[in-house]
Amino acid sequence: MVVYSFYIFDRHTECVYSKLWARQDRPISGGGTSIRPISDSSATSNGAPPDLGPARARPARLSAQDDAKLIFGTIFSLRNMVRKLGGPDDSFISFRTGQYKLHYFETPTSTKFVMLTDTGTLNMRNVLHQIYVNLWVEYVVKNPICPVEHPGGEGVANEKFEMGLETFVKGFV
Amino acid sequence: MASSQPVKPPLAGQPAQAQRGSQAGLKYPSSGKTIYNRPLNRSRTQELSQASFAYLFGEMVSYAQKRVTGIQDLEKRLNVQGHPIGLKLLDLLLYREPPRAQTRPLNIIALLQFITTALWRHLFSRPADALEKSSNPETPDEYMISDNEPLVNQYISVPKEMNQLNCAAFVAGIVEGVCDGAGFPARVTAHSVGKGEEGELWPGKTVFLVKFQPEVVEREAYLGKS
Amino acid sequence: MSSFYILQTSFPTADKPQLCGLVYQRDFTEGLNKLSVNDYLVLAGTFHGVHAITTRLNPLHPPNEPPSGIEVLETEHFRLQCFQTLTGTKFLLFTEPFQLNTDKIVARIYELYADYVMKNPFYSLEMPIRSEGWERRLVREMRVLNSR
Repeated sequence: MVVYSFYIFDRHTECVYSKLWARQDRPISGGGTSIRPISDSSATSNGAPPDLGPARARPARLSAQDDAKLIFGTIFSLRNMVRKLGGPDDSFISFRTGQYKLHYFETPTSTKFVMLTDTGTLNMRNVLHQIYVNLWVEYVVKNPICPVEHPGGEGVANEKFEMGLETFVKGFV
Repeated sequence: MASSQPVKPPLAGQPAQAQRGSQAGLKYPSSGKTIYNRPLNRSRTQELSQASFAYLFGEMVSYAQKRVTGIQDLEKRLNVQGHPIGLKLLDLLLYREPPRAQTRPLNIIALLQFITTALWRHLFSRPADALEKSSNPETPDEYMISDNEPLVNQYISVPKEMNQLNCAAFVAGIVEGVCDGAGFPARVTAHSVGKGEEGELWPGKTVFLVKFQPEVVEREAYLGKS
Repeated sequence: MSSFYILQTSFPTADKPQLCGLVYQRDFTEGLNKLSVNDYLVLAGTFHGVHAITTRLNPLHPPNEPPSGIEVLETEHFRLQCFQTLTGTKFLLFTEPFQLNTDKIVARIYELYADYVMKNPFYSLEMPIRSEGWERRLVREMRVLNSR
């Protein structure tokens, strides 16, 4: 199982946190050494484009920010479509293309957790739920220094949350 | 693919082949084996792809549909497309019959049986499903050939506003060609009958109504007496 | 529960822009919400857009194969299988969440479509499909599946 990236969107449709794990530029030789975290949380606050390493060499590639916007557009459209067809209590869980699988989890406060993995991965809704309960609530919501809203990702990418996410994702990969 | 092979330079010893290769427009396989080189009586395993036929026939129907005044006109055009095929098939199929039976059918029943067996087998790899004489005493010149599932109509759905149309008019044209060629001039039309209770089983059932000219019936009656 | 759509994207030409059309839509059993014809058209347009975007979100570098859009979508109430032909026609099959072999069902429907829609001389391209032969065989196919 491979996790490619992870995003959190707040109720104002803004991407407040995103994390990309190493893209498969070279075959993964196994072990944790190949997992190279590239965090670009609060990317809008410092304005500097995130360093994507070798991936930047490809002009066709979208920037990470555009990626996040497209992902939000996709899940937003799909969520509305699913509600229209399946009823207001339906919600979409995941979709899969030939190359990747996108998992989706939404809290009652419209905070959206999105994770991109390889296609062979099974249902990750529980994993996203655990990230919400054990990391988001614990280290962001309960953190007295974090603001209630997170414009530009403010306060989300604190050390404990990042560390926790890292260990958590490594734990089930 | 034969056509993709490089054309051999004409050799002095093969004038015939050189001449063939030089003709523009028509493509000849370099081996010289066209369908005209095949023996006429080899009839087994000469099957065609049904899909390619379906596309061809679809285009034939679309072509016939252009500048057409009505459904009758469209059926007439399809009939005309089939007619020459019937004329030619009569010759070919008689040639392929065993030598003793290589005579033209001389009465109506023999002709219709030839159509429902030899012709149907050649075209559709199976005999027709039924052959009946009209039970109506006023029309002794009418015969009916039924096909439960005409091959030409397999993929065709006629729109509701044209429900009188049956594209098997093309096959009716072939049958008409055979009748005309054998000296039994007739009008052949195709009718969809898969509507009533029978329609559940064979929704595409088609009856080919063969109506012979009065002189044919007259001759038949005269011959029958003697 | 199953429901089936065919979406088509027409090729843009000089006198008409690219159109995202819904050429066929049918519900076979109850389960999904019934929408107005207009809503189905809007939905079809949305799905076209989303499908195009999802092909661009490929996280693999370099792409190991030509990227494809959504193939399977899972929700709490249904499962959507999408199959795209080489010419861009999309077949959307909505089933219960645990229906098996949906890809095979769609492949079978594609076969029926190729036979009874594309080989029918009375079907004009990019128009809604109203072929009796196609309808009959599709319904029969679905009845067999739903009765299992």
